[in-house]
Amino acid sequence: MAAEVVAIAATDLASIQASQMGMKAIGAGLAVGLTGVGTGVAEMGIGAAAVGAIAENKDFFGLGLLFTVIPETIVIFGLVVGLLLLF
Amino acid sequence: MLKPKQMSRLLIAASRDQMGPVVAELYRHHLFHIEEYVEGGAEGYEGFKIGSPLSGASEASVDLLKIRAIENAVSIHGDDINSAKTCSGSELKSRIERELPVLEQEVEELTQKRSKLDNRVKEFEQKITEITPFVSIPADLEIYRGYAGFTVFAGYVAQEVTLSVPNEMHFSKSKEKNFIVVIAPTGQRNEVERALQEAAYQSVPIPDESGAPQARIDYYAGQITALTKEIAETNAKLDAVKVQHAGFLVACEEFLRTEVEQTEAPLRFATTKQTFVAEGWVPSDKVEAVSESLVKVTGGKVFVTVLPTDIEHDAVPVEYNNPKFAQPAQMLMDIYSRPKYTEVDPTLMLAIVFPIFFGLIVGDVGYGLVFLAMYFGLRTMLKGEDGQQLLTVFRNASISSIIFGLLFNEFLGFKFSQITGWILGAGGLVNPIEHYESLMFSRHLLIGATEAGGHGPAIPALMIMAIWIGVLHISLGRVLGMYNHAKQDHGIHRTKTVVANFGWLAVMWGILIAIWSNVVMPYMPDLTGLPVVAAGFNIGTFIGGALILAGVICIAWDSVLEVIELPTIISHVLSYARLVAVGLSSVAIAMVVNYMSIGMFIGPGMADLSLVGIVMIVVGLVIFLFGHTLNIALGLLGGGLHSIRLHYVEFFTKFYKGGGIRYVPFGMKRRFTEE
Repeated sequence: MAAEVVAIAATDLASIQASQMGMKAIGAGLAVGLTGVGTGVAEMGIGAAAVGAIAENKDFFGLGLLFTVIPETIVIFGLVVGLLLLF
Repeated sequence: MLKPKQMSRLLIAASRDQMGPVVAELYRHHLFHIEEYVEGGAEGYEGFKIGSPLSGASEASVDLLKIRAIENAVSIHGDDINSAKTCSGSELKSRIERELPVLEQEVEELTQKRSKLDNRVKEFEQKITEITPFVSIPADLEIYRGYAGFTVFAGYVAQEVTLSVPNEMHFSKSKEKNFIVVIAPTGQRNEVERALQEAAYQSVPIPDESGAPQARIDYYAGQITALTKEIAETNAKLDAVKVQHAGFLVACEEFLRTEVEQTEAPLRFATTKQTFVAEGWVPSDKVEAVSESLVKVTGGKVFVTVLPTDIEHDAVPVEYNNPKFAQPAQMLMDIYSRPKYTEVDPTLMLAIVFPIFFGLIVGDVGYGLVFLAMYFGLRTMLKGEDGQQLLTVFRNASISSIIFGLLFNEFLGFKFSQITGWILGAGGLVNPIEHYESLMFSRHLLIGATEAGGHGPAIPALMIMAIWIGVLHISLGRVLGMYNHAKQDHGIHRTKTVVANFGWLAVMWGILIAIWSNVVMPYMPDLTGLPVVAAGFNIGTFIGGALILAGVICIAWDSVLEVIELPTIISHVLSYARLVAVGLSSVAIAMVVNYMSIGMFIGPGMADLSLVGIVMIVVGLVIFLFGHTLNIALGLLGGGLHSIRLHYVEFFTKFYKGGGIRYVPFGMKRRFTEE
């Protein structure tokens, strides 16, 4: 009887650990995915405006690129959180 | 190094008859950045006027226009042609007089003929589209025209129409549109129109043709084929002109450009009736050579002097002054903005750090080798100077990728030591680096069967490394910011800006010290052992806190609004995590591709060499090639863009303003002509 309980507890622990791992993976996926969407939304307007400006004056390229990639930090945060969650 | 070339302001004055030789000499030197004379205002220049072009300017311009027109017509670009100094100026001059009119006429005739043919093709295509709807009606085209008492309606309708008036109708149904032809008495056209309107009628013009519609279409199609053939012949003739005369044309263009630029140079000088004055900039170390040769060509009839420079107000042109290996990176600087004359030129740092960042991100021997092969392939194709510079940057980046690939022990997602083991094993040799793991923190993920028994990537260590790189890079930026402000600003403003930059540094390091005093982290100093002072916090925490407070006060002293930017300290430092994150994602893609191709297809296929097995091997190979090509493209984009972005956004914003004037010396780098 006692041995059975221990065995059940062990399988339970294993499944709990596995589901915890799964939750972590979901969390990491959400972190990367949602921040990616956020970055995309933010870069959408800036990128369009920057391309317009570059079309008028090519010298604007450097500054345009700079502005466009500023929201990229958001997705990097997501990646960092995701990696820290997983490892 | 780290500073633009030192420039001197040169003033050249001489009598007008010396203008020709002086201009030619300056042009030859290719060193004099002309400061254009603007009429009115300038002190000491009362009564001066802008000069007029030297003789021969308009003829040369006209010829240059002709040459460019021909080059456009046959699409020749100087950048696509290998430089070859074949002809001298006088030789070209006579050839231009002799050959240019003939060549011009030939090309013009051909292009005119081609555009005429193009127009006729369009005309015939239009006719075909006009006739096409009538193909479905079994009637010749002439019956639609020439009635006195009847009106012909032709067009598309949404559904079949029934008319109350006597009529002749043909309705042809098709998938997209229904075509209808109605012939009705003109007296009752209103009723017909109304009925057709109800069926959403769209009228179609009746073609001015006779005969069966299909026959006419075939006729025009035949005509078009003949015309296209003729166009192809004309194009071939133009190509022949291109092949035969390309060298001559680019040489002519260059020669005429030198002529035009020289003859028009006086438009930028200040002149009186008898004399002219030219002001401009020359690198300080070249002043003597330029002045001496000017005196020599004019026989001493020229006055050359160096004017004092006022760094604050003069528009000093900026020329980079970098060691040879760093020069290609100047192109990356110009994309952002050329440095000001007074500020630090970070090209050298960019030239060193950019390949390192690129290598850290890509870090794969295999991909590095592919990049290097791409460099050698592209080198012969790109002939422009900018392209060559970009390629040199790319070459350095690929070499750095190979080096970091060795450090990370990576080869197309495999372990490099594994690969050498396979190759050497096939030759029966011992793999000397069999037990080599990696000199840097491992980036191998636990993906697929190819990686059995390995231990996972050292993510925390890699992250800390990225943070360290960020902290040091940003600190360097701030120090340079202090230097730039100390050099460029004045008075109280100078003190404030320097102190503010110090404040940013203090806050960053204060945060770091406070964290180190409370948390133990790998590869970072451990200050948790310091004596506790108050409230359970040790002295390190208080030092960090004091630094943060002092820093904030320093920043606020310069500008209170800047304080809301404080979180950027953390976001900018964390932004360097992309060095690890982007690199890891590329490793993950490579390993997944390897697992899919080898683990899922090639491996099982090799085990069973039947027909199915061979198909599996082929599918595996396709996945392998496609996946790695995709990853190479991503690595190039990711590695390049993220590395340059870390410079532009995180590094340059700390100290770099840019906006300097480009140094454009009067003259030209000759590629096709001799002097």
